[in-house]
Amino acid sequence: MSFLSVEEIAKSYDGVLALSRVSLEVRRGTIKGLIGPNGAGKTTLFHLISGIERPSSGKIYFKGTDITYMEPHEISLLGVGRTFQTLQVWGNMTVVENVMAGMHTRLKGGFLSCGLWFPWVRRMEKEALEEAKGILEFLGLLGRWKWPASQLSFGEQRILELGRSLAMKPELILLDEPAAGLTVAEVRQLTERISQLREEGITVFIVEHHMGMVMEIADEIAVLDNGELIAAGRPDAVSRNPKVIEAYLKGARADA
Amino acid sequence: MLPLWLLSLIVPDPHLDLRQEARFRKRDLFYSGALFLLPLVCSSPRLHYVMVLAGINAILALGLSLFLGYTGQISLGHAAFFGTGAYTTAILTTRWGSPPLAAFWASAAVAAALAYLVGRPILKLKGYFLALATLGFGEIFLVVVREAHALTGGVIGIFGIPLFSLAGFSFDTYLKQYYLVWGVLVGLVLFSKNLIRSKIGRAFLAVAASEDAASTVGIEVAHIKLGAFVVGAAFAGFGGSLFACIMSTANPEAFGLNLSVLVIMMVILGGIGNLYGPIAAAIFLTWLLDILGAYQEYSMPIYALILILLLITFPDGIGTRLNIRLIYLISYWGRRKRRERVDL
Repeated sequence: MSFLSVEEIAKSYDGVLALSRVSLEVRRGTIKGLIGPNGAGKTTLFHLISGIERPSSGKIYFKGTDITYMEPHEISLLGVGRTFQTLQVWGNMTVVENVMAGMHTRLKGGFLSCGLWFPWVRRMEKEALEEAKGILEFLGLLGRWKWPASQLSFGEQRILELGRSLAMKPELILLDEPAAGLTVAEVRQLTERISQLREEGITVFIVEHHMGMVMEIADEIAVLDNGELIAAGRPDAVSRNPKVIEAYLKGARADA
Repeated sequence: MLPLWLLSLIVPDPHLDLRQEARFRKRDLFYSGALFLLPLVCSSPRLHYVMVLAGINAILALGLSLFLGYTGQISLGHAAFFGTGAYTTAILTTRWGSPPLAAFWASAAVAAALAYLVGRPILKLKGYFLALATLGFGEIFLVVVREAHALTGGVIGIFGIPLFSLAGFSFDTYLKQYYLVWGVLVGLVLFSKNLIRSKIGRAFLAVAASEDAASTVGIEVAHIKLGAFVVGAAFAGFGGSLFACIMSTANPEAFGLNLSVLVIMMVILGGIGNLYGPIAAAIFLTWLLDILGAYQEYSMPIYALILILLLITFPDGIGTRLNIRLIYLISYWGRRKRRERVDL
């Protein structure tokens, strides 16, 4: 039984095919990279795995459970966390609240118990705060824990988004272009953090345009082009694959 | 254990007060003290009466603030829950002889139950569609109230609702009613503050910021929206019950779209995502409407003009600006005092 299994997934928007019968697997405890030119369908695949969108056909299994038509919060309860390509840090909260929001399902308490601030709610909030501070320390943001999240730099907000997902204690984390817009030093720091995640037993599925980073940390890479899986395998093999080179050259020509 | 818990309600743990508006500060003492002393310093029954109305409006605004201000959803039918509370109290006290205190709690429960039933289907809608659905709900409520003569008294309504009383103590003057209404409001503010600084408050804000991102951290968006709607409706139910007891009457004219829009104005003018702002705006708008009542046909244009000017001057709400101004004045006063001491 594979950890995450995507089987023959297809997705179309008003007749335009975004993904065409894509099948791939992610093994537990590994880092899997997903690369491809712009518009290849990478983010769409992440939306389908996390339940934000529904596929036109195909199945997705996580730890043997069919999650194809589950709601996003149900999928996250199974242990799937994610970050977004377009930054989704909640600027209306402080930095530490953003991380604590990631613990939502792990914290007990309903409207009445929270509104009446029962002693056990207070105790739990205190523990959550300490844990959130620990995550911020791991990510190097502890010095700004009380800042409004909107006042962090773009790079720091990306790191914070990762922190929020980690607060869920996920088994699988989907990172959608986490290095986009980061400085060289920040990319280096992020690379180290992601490698540490693998050491802690968290499986990482990462979409990234920063090729150096993906090649360095990924155990396996899958390549999408025009909604189709054109290659998959070890990073060195994929980087020499003529189809992959052609897809990227085509993308570069289109950009030019 | 119990006294410690009660104390934690009023003086929250400073380490856990992550949200500015949920913190307990000297400012809160200042507001509470000012509200306590106000009717004692100014003994005019008219002032007491208008402040009673302002307090009831503030209860409504506080409830809607959780739904609109924190969770980012729109409701144009909030007055219907206020009406539900008022009619529940009216029916229970006049027909079934229920004591006002029991009717008070029942009003909130009935309003909350109605919000749950209505909210489940309509909260799947977003934006304009949600606004239209809640508007429709408000109108349906009015039609039902007008047509159900046997239960609600139709367009004439229900009269002779007994005054609020507690263990034989009757709230029979505006002064006593002032303390009743503002006492209830203080309790609801504490409840709201606690909600906001807990996982529920973070979920409110997360849903307001991005429903997709909120759902991917395990927040059940529909549940949170429904919860905020139900809590807001329960607050409105409390307000409606107090209104019925104080006015001794409940009739459909008081619970129409005008009131829903007025409450939305209070939340927006007070400041989105702010607890004290809507209360300040409720006091201000209630007084403004009362004063402008003397100008009869010109009252509405003047009212609209003042609102437009205020929204241009305070685009993020008067609550935020007033707080900033007050903090500035207090810190300026503090600095001057310290300087004086150094000079000595």
